[in-house]
Amino acid sequence: MTVPVEWYVALSAILFSIGALGVLLRRNAIIIFMSVELMLNAANLLFVAFSRYLGDLDGQVLVFFVITVAAAEVAVGLALIVVIFRTKQSINIDEINLMKG
Amino acid sequence: MVLFIILAISAVAAALGMLFSRNAVHSALFLVLNFAIVAALYLTLNAPFIAMVQITVYAGAIIVLFLFVIMLLGAEQLRGVAGDGGVWQRWLAGGLTAVLLISFASILFQGNAITPASAAGVIDTSPAALGLRLFEAYVFPFEVTGVLLLAAIIGVVVLSISKKRGQQ
Amino acid sequence: MNAFALAPLVLGLPILGVLFNGFVGRRFVEADRSVGEKWSGWAASIMALSAFVIVVLLYFSLQANGHHAEIVPMMDWISIPSANFHIPWAMQIDTLSVTMMLVVTGVGSLIHIYAIGYMHGDPNFSRFFTYLNLFLFFMLILVSGNNYLMLFVGWEGVGLCSFLLIGFWFDRTNEKGEAMNANAARKAFVANRVGDLAMILAMSLTFWTFGTLNFEPVFDSAVEMFHSGAMVHFGAFSASLGGVLTAITALFLVGATGKSAQIPLLVWLPDAMAGPTPVSALIHAATMVTSGIYLIVRSNVLFEIVRESHALVLGVISSPDLVALVGALTAVYAGLIAFTQFDIKKVLAYSTVSQLGFMIAAVGMGAYVAGMFHLITHAFFKALLFMGSGSVIHGMEHGHHHISHGHGHDNHHDHFDPQDMRTMGGLRHHMPTTFWTYLVGSLALAGIVPLAGFWSKDEILAHASANSGGINTVVYILLTIAAFCTAFYMARQVKMVFFGEPRHKAAEHAHESPRTMTMPLVILAILAILGGLLNFPHFGAEAEAAHGAETAVVAAGEHAAEVESAGGLNLALEHWLEHSIASFHLTEEGVVEMPHTPTTLQIPVATISSVLAIAAIAIAYFLVYGSRPKTADERDPLQATPIWWMAVLPLNTLYMGYIVPAFNRLAEWAAHTLDWAFWHDFVHDNIIRNIFVGFANFASNVLDAQGVDGIVNGSGSVARWLANQIRRSQTGYARNYALSVFLGTVVLLAYFLFMAR
Repeated sequence: MTVPVEWYVALSAILFSIGALGVLLRRNAIIIFMSVELMLNAANLLFVAFSRYLGDLDGQVLVFFVITVAAAEVAVGLALIVVIFRTKQSINIDEINLMKG
Repeated sequence: MVLFIILAISAVAAALGMLFSRNAVHSALFLVLNFAIVAALYLTLNAPFIAMVQITVYAGAIIVLFLFVIMLLGAEQLRGVAGDGGVWQRWLAGGLTAVLLISFASILFQGNAITPASAAGVIDTSPAALGLRLFEAYVFPFEVTGVLLLAAIIGVVVLSISKKRGQQ
Repeated sequence: MNAFALAPLVLGLPILGVLFNGFVGRRFVEADRSVGEKWSGWAASIMALSAFVIVVLLYFSLQANGHHAEIVPMMDWISIPSANFHIPWAMQIDTLSVTMMLVVTGVGSLIHIYAIGYMHGDPNFSRFFTYLNLFLFFMLILVSGNNYLMLFVGWEGVGLCSFLLIGFWFDRTNEKGEAMNANAARKAFVANRVGDLAMILAMSLTFWTFGTLNFEPVFDSAVEMFHSGAMVHFGAFSASLGGVLTAITALFLVGATGKSAQIPLLVWLPDAMAGPTPVSALIHAATMVTSGIYLIVRSNVLFEIVRESHALVLGVISSPDLVALVGALTAVYAGLIAFTQFDIKKVLAYSTVSQLGFMIAAVGMGAYVAGMFHLITHAFFKALLFMGSGSVIHGMEHGHHHISHGHGHDNHHDHFDPQDMRTMGGLRHHMPTTFWTYLVGSLALAGIVPLAGFWSKDEILAHASANSGGINTVVYILLTIAAFCTAFYMARQVKMVFFGEPRHKAAEHAHESPRTMTMPLVILAILAILGGLLNFPHFGAEAEAAHGAETAVVAAGEHAAEVESAGGLNLALEHWLEHSIASFHLTEEGVVEMPHTPTTLQIPVATISSVLAIAAIAIAYFLVYGSRPKTADERDPLQATPIWWMAVLPLNTLYMGYIVPAFNRLAEWAAHTLDWAFWHDFVHDNIIRNIFVGFANFASNVLDAQGVDGIVNGSGSVARWLANQIRRSQTGYARNYALSVFLGTVVLLAYFLFMAR
């Protein structure tokens, strides 16, 4: 009894959407980062599902790379948040608008 | 099948929990749960290596890092009032997400969205096979990944050091 | 062995002079006046002389290769392949351009040398020679280019040099403190702009019609189209070739009226006399003002086709006839005005306008050779007269200087005009060389038998009378009157300047000019005497035979060489120029019918003009001015008839009582009312100026301030407003950017999923 790949796609889409909503709705920069991780995770799930579905190992290899990049991104991103917090005493992204034109 | 449905529902529930938690620590814990469930799904998809990496890197390393930063900064909850101009943005974000989901749904339930799999049999997805693939076909990207991580490490160090120098 | 490869040097040498005088000449002059002036002046003169020598070599080369036009390419100038627009920078060395170049460099060299003496002591000595050489350069481009655009470059260039040289003493003011010289320069420049606009229009139309501006292809395709009766197509419109060529030639005429000071654009030339006298001699008598005639002669094919196609300007008159009429009217008009002038140079200026009218009338009637003949002889004797007048002015200034020093400071403050003929008189004793050469020039201009002016003027008149009927009869009568006027005002001038007793102390102390000034006078006087030989007509029976033979030969269309040998020296210029004036060949081929100029001396015409000239001189010398020297206070009889004349000379009662006053009034009316009050003051200063100022105000206040500035400022503020609006979208909030990215993602996804299937 195998699960049709469409179901995985649907689950991935839902998780991705939740992640996107998190990025767009939350004001806490750390939670936004977590949401980004969730979106990456949704993408990874799709990679693995199709890897299985198509019988190709490359999908899993790509997931490996994505996880690596995500780890690096989180490290740098959290460092940035720490630095921003030191200067602004806040990680509310609605209070950070240095790039205002 | 049943297992998938249970796992899927709990994954979505964990994700929503992360989304709606007021406390950032709770969010992080919901995210760990979500990652663990996805790891279980990887196992059902015959991807044991990825499942383990998911557990160690995401649940183990990344989330620990998140929690560490949250507690370091004491940023469990945001202080101060919420930013302005949020309402229409929320509606727009919600609307767009709905459009996104409807798009996916319409494709998926049209039935012929994804061509049936060819007779690709079960392939060897053991960590050994994945390792061979990584170090043969993908050796160059793998090395580049190493450089990327190195750059990230140096970047983080520079970010935290330069601030101290600036303060002196 | 031919010298065509040397042709670019003709242009290069004057430029070398410009560079020398423009960059280092001033330092030479400032370092040591007398030596520096020699270097500066002679460098410029030697450049002009060397150019002359090369042109002479070109002349012999043309003789050697059978008078075939030689195109000497120098480089590509404009090349737009998509529009098939190619303008080379090339010289056309043919008999016509060499003739013009000989005049320009020959007379130009003499005037350069003369100017060394005339400009002696001027603080801007080397600047003067820079301009003079620059003028030569542009004039040579004008006459040697092988396309209309090069001609136009020269045309504009000489206009620029004319402006610079008229305003050479731009800091001089008259007693009212007006910068008259600078004003005159501006006037010349602006008046010429009108003609230049017509030139640009004519060139545009030419290019539009024929797809090229090179002389030979334009003329060839014009003849071809005329042959085949093809229509000219301008996009959706089409017009007959005759109509288009009428427009082009009429515009050429407007251009020529500007440069050659014809009605209605003649107003600038008399004012141009504010420039130094060598400039008047070179630019405003011998060379630049004749470029209008050159233009028409160069475009003779177009004019002849128009004449043949009977197309009319505005349905009234064909454009060659219009040319002739404009020339003839100008000749009379300017001749009348010259009567009442007291400024020695103004008389010559109006005389120049009048003689240019002769040439324009000649080329308008199709007498291209006669026009060129008169151009050449006029260059000789008018340059001579201007330089002679310069010599007189020079002498008067020195005389005035002398008495000022003799009498202390008393006379320094009185206004003395060294050009006013009323202060002169009796100068023949003080300035003998100037007097004799001036006399030769005057008689040549008046048309006295053996001198150059007689032959050239007579050829024009003979052409007019031989081709009488229609406009030519009017032209003949007008030109005969103009010839009479010419003799009269020249006799009046010579009488006032050189005869009688000095009327001013300055005239008593005037003395002869230096040799650099008198030598060119002598050379030009010899040329003014012998110039008629250039196109000497046939005489009597022997001539008739030759003429008959020639017509027979022309009818047969071959053996032109035999006629040439039979003709010998006679009609040398015609045989020389007919290689460049394509209408001769086209007449032989029967394409067009160029009016034929009589090749023999027309005894009745010659007699009439000679008698009239002698009569005019006699009237001026013996009757109007009498033998008694006039004093400075005495009124000029041409301005008010003295009553005693009627009593003393009863034979002249009729003449003096009716004709002279009427004539005086006519001349005065022409000079003061028609010319100054009506033409200069009313038409130019009021109508044209007000229309122009009104338009300029409109353009500046409405079009520019509101229209153009409005567009510019408006687009600026729109951009500013838009930028402000867009700026607001850059909130700096990461959320907004993320939302935008997400929006884009969803839209793209939706597009790929639903639209792009």
